[in-house]
Amino acid sequence: MFENLTVFQTSAAMARHAGQTQALISQNVANADTPGYVGHEMPPFAALYSPDETAGNQRATRAGHLNGSASAQEMASVEMRGSENPNENTISLEAEMLKAADAKSNHDRALAIYKSALDVLRTAVSTR
Amino acid sequence: MTDFSSARSVSASGMQAQAQRLRHLSENISNADTPGYRRKLISFQTAMGQGNQISPVQVGRVRLDQSDLSTIYDPSHPMADETGEYKGSNVNLLIELADAREAQRSYEANLKMFDQARNMSSSLMQLLRR
Repeated sequence: MFENLTVFQTSAAMARHAGQTQALISQNVANADTPGYVGHEMPPFAALYSPDETAGNQRATRAGHLNGSASAQEMASVEMRGSENPNENTISLEAEMLKAADAKSNHDRALAIYKSALDVLRTAVSTR
Repeated sequence: MTDFSSARSVSASGMQAQAQRLRHLSENISNADTPGYRRKLISFQTAMGQGNQISPVQVGRVRLDQSDLSTIYDPSHPMADETGEYKGSNVNLLIELADAREAQRSYEANLKMFDQARNMSSSLMQLLRR
Protein backbone atom coordinates (compact mmCIF):
# COMPACT_ATOMS: atom_id res chain seq x y z
CA MET A 1 0.00 0.00 0.00
CA PHE A 2 2.31 2.70 1.26
CA GLU A 3 5.34 1.42 -0.58
CA ASN A 4 3.61 2.39 -3.80
CA LEU A 5 3.99 6.05 -2.91
CA THR A 6 6.88 7.41 -4.92
CA VAL A 7 8.55 9.16 -2.00
CA PHE A 8 8.79 5.88 -0.08
CA GLN A 9 9.90 4.01 -3.17
CA THR A 10 12.61 6.51 -4.00
CA SER A 11 13.95 6.89 -0.48
CA ALA A 12 13.95 3.11 0.03
CA ALA A 13 15.86 2.68 -3.24
CA MET A 14 18.33 5.35 -2.12
CA ALA A 15 18.85 3.65 1.25
CA ARG A 16 19.30 0.30 -0.49
CA HIS A 17 21.81 1.84 -2.86
CA ALA A 18 23.75 3.31 0.07
CA GLY A 19 23.76 -0.10 1.75
CA GLN A 20 25.14 -1.79 -1.36
CA THR A 21 27.75 0.93 -1.65
CA GLN A 22 28.78 0.38 1.96
CA ALA A 23 29.11 -3.38 1.40
CA LEU A 24 31.31 -2.78 -1.65
CA ILE A 25 33.48 -0.28 0.22
CA SER A 26 33.90 -2.81 3.04
CA GLN A 27 35.03 -5.36 0.46
CA ASN A 28 37.50 -2.88 -1.04
CA VAL A 29 38.94 -1.97 2.36
CA ALA A 30 39.23 -5.62 3.40
CA ASN A 31 41.13 -6.33 0.18
CA ALA A 32 43.30 -3.22 0.37
CA ASP A 33 46.44 -5.36 0.84
CA THR A 34 45.54 -8.15 -1.60
CA PRO A 35 47.92 -8.20 -4.58
CA GLY A 36 46.19 -7.92 -7.94
CA TYR A 37 42.78 -6.98 -6.50
CA VAL A 38 40.65 -4.71 -8.67
CA GLY A 39 38.27 -2.51 -6.70
CA HIS A 40 34.54 -2.22 -7.36
CA GLU A 41 32.24 0.72 -6.93
CA MET A 42 28.57 1.51 -7.45
CA PRO A 43 27.48 4.03 -10.07
CA PRO A 44 25.97 7.10 -8.36
CA PHE A 45 22.33 6.92 -7.34
CA ALA A 46 21.42 9.84 -9.60
CA ALA A 47 22.41 7.73 -12.60
CA LEU A 48 19.29 5.64 -11.95
CA TYR A 49 17.03 8.52 -12.82
CA SER A 50 19.01 10.39 -15.44
CA PRO A 51 17.32 10.34 -18.85
CA ASP A 52 20.45 9.33 -20.72
CA GLU A 53 21.70 6.09 -19.24
CA THR A 54 25.38 5.37 -19.06
CA ALA A 55 26.55 3.94 -22.33
CA GLY A 56 25.83 0.28 -22.85
CA ASN A 57 23.23 -0.05 -20.13
CA GLN A 58 19.64 -0.53 -21.18
CA ARG A 59 17.05 1.33 -19.23
CA ALA A 60 14.43 -0.71 -17.43
CA THR A 61 11.15 1.14 -17.24
CA ARG A 62 8.86 -1.71 -16.23
CA ALA A 63 9.12 -4.53 -13.72
CA GLY A 64 8.88 -7.07 -16.54
CA HIS A 65 11.99 -5.80 -18.28
CA LEU A 66 15.02 -8.00 -18.53
CA ASN A 67 17.43 -6.04 -16.34
CA GLY A 68 15.18 -5.53 -13.35
CA SER A 69 12.39 -3.24 -12.32
CA ALA A 70 12.19 0.49 -12.75
CA SER A 71 13.44 1.10 -9.23
CA ALA A 72 16.48 -1.13 -9.92
CA GLN A 73 16.51 -3.56 -7.03
CA GLU A 74 20.10 -4.54 -7.72
CA MET A 75 22.51 -2.23 -9.46
CA ALA A 76 25.56 -3.76 -11.01
CA SER A 77 28.91 -2.63 -9.66
CA VAL A 78 31.66 -1.45 -11.98
CA GLU A 79 35.37 -2.08 -11.71
CA MET A 80 37.75 0.75 -10.89
CA ARG A 81 40.68 0.49 -13.28
CA GLY A 82 43.74 2.70 -13.45
CA SER A 83 45.99 4.04 -10.69
CA GLU A 84 47.42 0.66 -9.78
CA ASN A 85 49.83 0.28 -6.90
CA PRO A 86 53.08 -1.60 -7.58
CA ASN A 87 51.36 -4.85 -6.56
CA GLU A 88 48.56 -4.20 -9.10
CA ASN A 89 46.04 -3.35 -6.38
CA THR A 90 43.78 -0.45 -7.30
CA ILE A 91 42.53 0.50 -3.81
CA SER A 92 43.35 3.85 -2.25
CA LEU A 93 42.29 3.78 1.41
CA GLU A 94 41.80 7.55 1.51
CA ALA A 95 39.41 7.48 -1.44
CA GLU A 96 37.50 4.62 0.15
CA MET A 97 37.12 6.55 3.42
CA LEU A 98 35.74 9.49 1.46
CA LYS A 99 33.25 7.26 -0.32
CA ALA A 100 32.28 5.64 2.97
CA ALA A 101 31.45 9.04 4.48
CA ASP A 102 29.40 9.77 1.38
CA ALA A 103 27.53 6.49 1.66
CA LYS A 104 26.76 7.15 5.31
CA SER A 105 25.39 10.62 4.65
CA ASN A 106 23.34 9.35 1.71
CA HIS A 107 21.90 6.60 3.87
CA ASP A 108 21.08 9.05 6.65
CA ARG A 109 19.44 11.38 4.18
CA ALA A 110 17.33 8.61 2.67
CA LEU A 111 16.22 7.48 6.13
CA ALA A 112 15.38 11.04 7.12
CA ILE A 113 13.22 11.49 4.03
CA TYR A 114 11.51 8.17 4.69
CA LYS A 115 10.87 9.05 8.31
CA SER A 116 9.49 12.48 7.57
CA ALA A 117 7.13 11.05 4.92
CA LEU A 118 6.08 8.45 7.46
CA ASP A 119 5.38 11.21 9.99
CA VAL A 120 3.21 13.04 7.46
CA LEU A 121 1.21 9.89 6.86
CA ARG A 122 0.91 9.26 10.57
CA THR A 123 -0.36 12.77 11.16
CA ALA A 124 -2.91 12.32 8.38
CA VAL A 125 -4.36 9.11 9.78
CA SER A 126 -4.13 9.87 13.46
CA THR A 127 -7.34 10.76 15.22
CA ARG A 128 -5.80 13.08 17.75
CA MET B 1 22.37 -12.16 3.06
CA THR B 2 21.55 -8.53 3.37
CA ASP B 3 24.05 -5.86 2.40
CA PHE B 4 24.83 -4.87 5.97
CA SER B 5 25.48 -8.35 7.24
CA SER B 6 27.70 -9.10 4.24
CA ALA B 7 29.50 -5.79 4.81
CA ARG B 8 30.13 -6.77 8.42
CA SER B 9 31.32 -10.26 7.53
CA VAL B 10 33.70 -8.99 4.86
CA SER B 11 35.14 -6.45 7.34
CA ALA B 12 35.52 -9.23 9.88
CA SER B 13 37.39 -11.34 7.34
CA GLY B 14 39.69 -8.39 6.67
CA MET B 15 40.40 -7.95 10.38
CA GLN B 16 41.05 -11.67 10.76
CA ALA B 17 43.52 -11.61 7.87
CA GLN B 18 45.36 -8.59 9.28
CA ALA B 19 45.50 -10.18 12.73
CA GLN B 20 47.03 -13.32 11.26
CA ARG B 21 49.56 -11.20 9.39
CA LEU B 22 50.45 -9.46 12.65
CA ARG B 23 50.87 -12.84 14.35
CA HIS B 24 53.39 -14.01 11.75
CA LEU B 25 55.19 -10.67 11.99
CA SER B 26 55.60 -11.04 15.73
CA GLU B 27 56.88 -14.59 15.21
CA ASN B 28 59.49 -13.15 12.86
CA ILE B 29 60.46 -10.40 15.28
CA SER B 30 60.78 -12.72 18.25
CA ASN B 31 62.96 -15.09 16.21
CA ALA B 32 65.18 -12.35 14.84
CA ASP B 33 68.17 -13.72 16.78
CA THR B 34 67.48 -17.42 16.24
CA PRO B 35 70.31 -18.97 14.13
CA GLY B 36 69.07 -20.37 10.82
CA TYR B 37 65.55 -18.89 11.11
CA ARG B 38 63.91 -17.90 7.83
CA ARG B 39 61.24 -15.24 8.03
CA LYS B 40 57.66 -16.28 7.27
CA LEU B 41 55.75 -14.57 4.50
CA ILE B 42 52.00 -14.65 3.98
CA SER B 43 50.01 -13.24 1.11
CA PHE B 44 46.37 -12.26 0.91
CA GLN B 45 43.95 -13.46 -1.71
CA THR B 46 40.33 -12.76 -2.52
CA ALA B 47 37.93 -15.62 -1.90
CA MET B 48 35.76 -16.01 -4.96
CA GLY B 49 32.08 -15.26 -4.52
CA GLN B 50 29.42 -16.12 -7.03
CA GLY B 51 28.41 -13.43 -9.47
CA ASN B 52 27.80 -10.09 -7.85
CA GLN B 53 28.35 -11.28 -4.30
CA ILE B 54 30.67 -9.64 -1.82
CA SER B 55 33.90 -11.63 -1.70
CA PRO B 56 35.90 -11.74 1.55
CA VAL B 57 39.66 -11.76 1.90
CA GLN B 58 41.58 -14.81 3.07
CA VAL B 59 45.16 -15.59 3.93
CA GLY B 60 47.14 -17.74 1.55
CA ARG B 61 49.77 -20.34 2.38
CA VAL B 62 52.69 -19.43 4.63
CA ARG B 63 55.97 -19.37 2.72
CA LEU B 64 59.52 -19.05 3.97
CA ASP B 65 61.72 -16.27 2.71
CA GLN B 66 64.46 -17.98 0.68
CA SER B 67 66.86 -15.04 0.68
CA ASP B 68 70.35 -15.56 2.11
CA LEU B 69 70.80 -15.87 5.86
CA SER B 70 73.01 -13.27 7.45
CA THR B 71 76.48 -14.40 8.52
CA ILE B 72 77.61 -13.26 11.95
CA TYR B 73 81.22 -13.27 13.04
CA ASP B 74 81.58 -14.66 16.57
CA PRO B 75 84.31 -17.27 17.09
CA SER B 76 83.14 -18.01 20.64
CA HIS B 77 79.67 -19.05 19.45
CA PRO B 78 79.07 -22.82 19.70
CA MET B 79 77.72 -22.95 16.15
CA ALA B 80 80.63 -21.02 14.62
CA ASP B 81 82.53 -22.81 11.84
CA GLU B 82 86.31 -22.74 11.28
CA THR B 83 86.20 -19.17 9.94
CA GLY B 84 84.48 -18.04 13.16
CA GLU B 85 81.16 -17.28 11.47
CA TYR B 86 77.68 -18.71 11.89
CA LYS B 87 74.39 -18.27 10.07
CA GLY B 88 71.87 -16.00 11.73
CA SER B 89 68.29 -15.33 10.61
CA ASN B 90 67.23 -13.33 7.57
CA VAL B 91 64.84 -11.14 9.53
CA ASN B 92 65.18 -7.41 8.95
CA LEU B 93 63.62 -5.71 11.97
CA LEU B 94 62.98 -2.47 10.11
CA ILE B 95 60.91 -4.25 7.44
CA GLU B 96 58.97 -6.22 10.03
CA LEU B 97 58.13 -3.11 12.03
CA ALA B 98 57.01 -1.19 8.97
CA ASP B 99 54.87 -4.15 7.93
CA ALA B 100 53.37 -4.35 11.43
CA ARG B 101 52.48 -0.69 11.29
CA GLU B 102 50.77 -1.20 7.94
CA ALA B 103 48.84 -4.18 9.30
CA GLN B 104 47.67 -2.06 12.22
CA ARG B 105 46.45 0.71 9.96
CA SER B 106 44.59 -1.71 7.71
CA TYR B 107 43.03 -3.33 10.77
CA GLU B 108 41.81 0.06 11.94
CA ALA B 109 40.35 0.83 8.52
CA ASN B 110 38.43 -2.46 8.59
CA LEU B 111 37.24 -1.76 12.11
CA LYS B 112 35.96 1.64 11.04
CA MET B 113 34.05 0.10 8.14
CA PHE B 114 32.57 -2.51 10.50
CA ASP B 115 31.49 0.20 12.90
CA GLN B 116 29.92 2.25 10.13
CA ALA B 117 27.95 -0.70 8.73
CA ARG B 118 26.68 -1.37 12.24
CA ASN B 119 25.69 2.28 12.71
CA MET B 120 23.85 2.32 9.40
CA SER B 121 21.87 -0.81 10.17
CA SER B 122 21.01 0.39 13.66
CA SER B 123 19.76 3.72 12.30
CA LEU B 124 17.63 1.67 9.92
CA MET B 125 16.20 -0.14 12.91
CA GLN B 126 15.48 3.20 14.57
CA LEU B 127 12.78 3.71 11.92
CA LEU B 128 10.73 1.01 13.57
CA ARG B 129 10.64 2.97 16.80
CA ARG B 130 8.16 5.68 17.36
